[in-house]
Amino acid sequence: MLLVVLASIVAVLGQAPAITSDTTPVVGGDVTTPLTLTPADLKALPRTTVTVAEEGREVRYEGVLVGELLKRAGAPVGRDLSGKAVATYVRASAKDGYQVVFSLAELDPAFTANDIIVADAIDGKPLFDYQGPLRIVAPHDKRGARSIRMLQRIEVVRLVK
Amino acid sequence: MRSSVVVAILLWSAAAAFGARAQPAPAFSWTLPARFPTPRVPPNNPMSDAKVTLGRFLFYDTRLSGNGTQACATCHEQARAFTDGRAQAVGSTGEVHPRGSMSLVNVAYAATLTWGDPTVTRLEDQALVPMFGTHPVELGLTKDDPTLMARLRLEPRYRTLFAQAFTTDTDPFSLEHVTQALAAFERTVISARSPYDRYHTDRDDTAISASARRGETLFFSQPLSCFRCHGGFTFSGAVDFEGRRQGGEGGVEFHNTGLYNIAGLLSYPPPNTGAYEATHKPEDIGKFKAPTLRNIAVTAPYMHDGSAATLEDVVAHYAAGGRTIASGPYQGVGHDNPNKSPTIRGFVLTPDQRDDLIAFLRALTDEPLLRDPRFGNPWKESQ
Repeated sequence: MLLVVLASIVAVLGQAPAITSDTTPVVGGDVTTPLTLTPADLKALPRTTVTVAEEGREVRYEGVLVGELLKRAGAPVGRDLSGKAVATYVRASAKDGYQVVFSLAELDPAFTANDIIVADAIDGKPLFDYQGPLRIVAPHDKRGARSIRMLQRIEVVRLVK
Repeated sequence: MRSSVVVAILLWSAAAAFGARAQPAPAFSWTLPARFPTPRVPPNNPMSDAKVTLGRFLFYDTRLSGNGTQACATCHEQARAFTDGRAQAVGSTGEVHPRGSMSLVNVAYAATLTWGDPTVTRLEDQALVPMFGTHPVELGLTKDDPTLMARLRLEPRYRTLFAQAFTTDTDPFSLEHVTQALAAFERTVISARSPYDRYHTDRDDTAISASARRGETLFFSQPLSCFRCHGGFTFSGAVDFEGRRQGGEGGVEFHNTGLYNIAGLLSYPPPNTGAYEATHKPEDIGKFKAPTLRNIAVTAPYMHDGSAATLEDVVAHYAAGGRTIASGPYQGVGHDNPNKSPTIRGFVLTPDQRDDLIAFLRALTDEPLLRDPRFGNPWKESQ
């Protein structure tokens, strides 16, 4: 019995956070103009399509470049991405608590040729519940770990000011 | 110049010699589901309809057991997604196997084939284990005993089937051809017609319930992380298929899920000590293959030894981050097993969320597969 109680305590202490309820994803942190990412907002912005290989077949994701969203939020991209600003990272968080990090430079089309997008569609249809409504797709990553699903927040963090 | 000619002649001779033994590769149509890649097949055992047909007859033939009481299908019943409903399989002589029968669905894609042996990677090799294994005895055949081939030769149907499947051999009856045909048949047992597939592939939002959709989100969430071991289109461990980069990401893994933690050096009850049985590495104690979750609702009981009776029991085990056995010979707190996978952290679900997760797992049942005549007993058809 004691073992059962001890195991229960251990299990509760080690519990993972619950999935948060749906809220509108945002772009925030160290930016001048925080954005909310409604489906309508995304549809109205310049669209980018990327193709990734998933288990031997090609899958097409559509959405908006993360760099485009960061530019509109006032993050230091383009000509402003120099000096101390280069030491800036972007943390993407999901509603299940998962988090990944990109450097700001790798999201800026003026800096690197990378098509990392916030996707709202897969093969012409809305994302599945477990993926969306929004996710990031990093098509040139060799692993899918940073293509975060259930995107909740994109946060700009300057390491040096 | 002369050396080039010599090399060319040698290569030609080698190719000619190889070609004399190699079987031709008749065209074979997999008719695969949309999300499924082409399975990788051993070069010396190309698929053919004739081989698949022969393999199906052999799969259901009790002549493949020493005492004529069991076939492959005895422990791999189609109606149970090619499992047997037992916690632990029972061989032809009544010996109880330490582990349960594994499902054969989508086995064409499996990078490894057994609960705990990383070295068994080809179906042709695996078939020899139940046929001739002695620890435990399964089908109970004896190696080098001509009885099996003599039995098969006596069956008139096999004279035709073997000849059609292996056209270049003067005498097509051989153990190698038996295992090749069995493997070819098993590779055709592809499961992809579940409600989940209709939801995903056909984008039919009515195919699965709202509860199952919520369950899918939980399944793929960070706190539960079920998908990390039961991933991809097979909802299992590592897969292989044509074009897949070998030796890269998604390699073969076996997992200690904290099912046991008994006292002593071996934290899992022998003889079921997992991959350790094959590798003898202490870090492999208690590590088993993550089986496919497709059709999981019809393959109870669960775990390598059938020690979890229901899906509710399985979810409770993972929610606790390991199973606690309060008394008896297996007493111990699995949560604290020193080899436990870091993925098994435990989580908290409300009763509704638990039901959602199980509704999702039930949506993986491929009812058409369980009745598909292509995978049924051909001897009954031909009577």
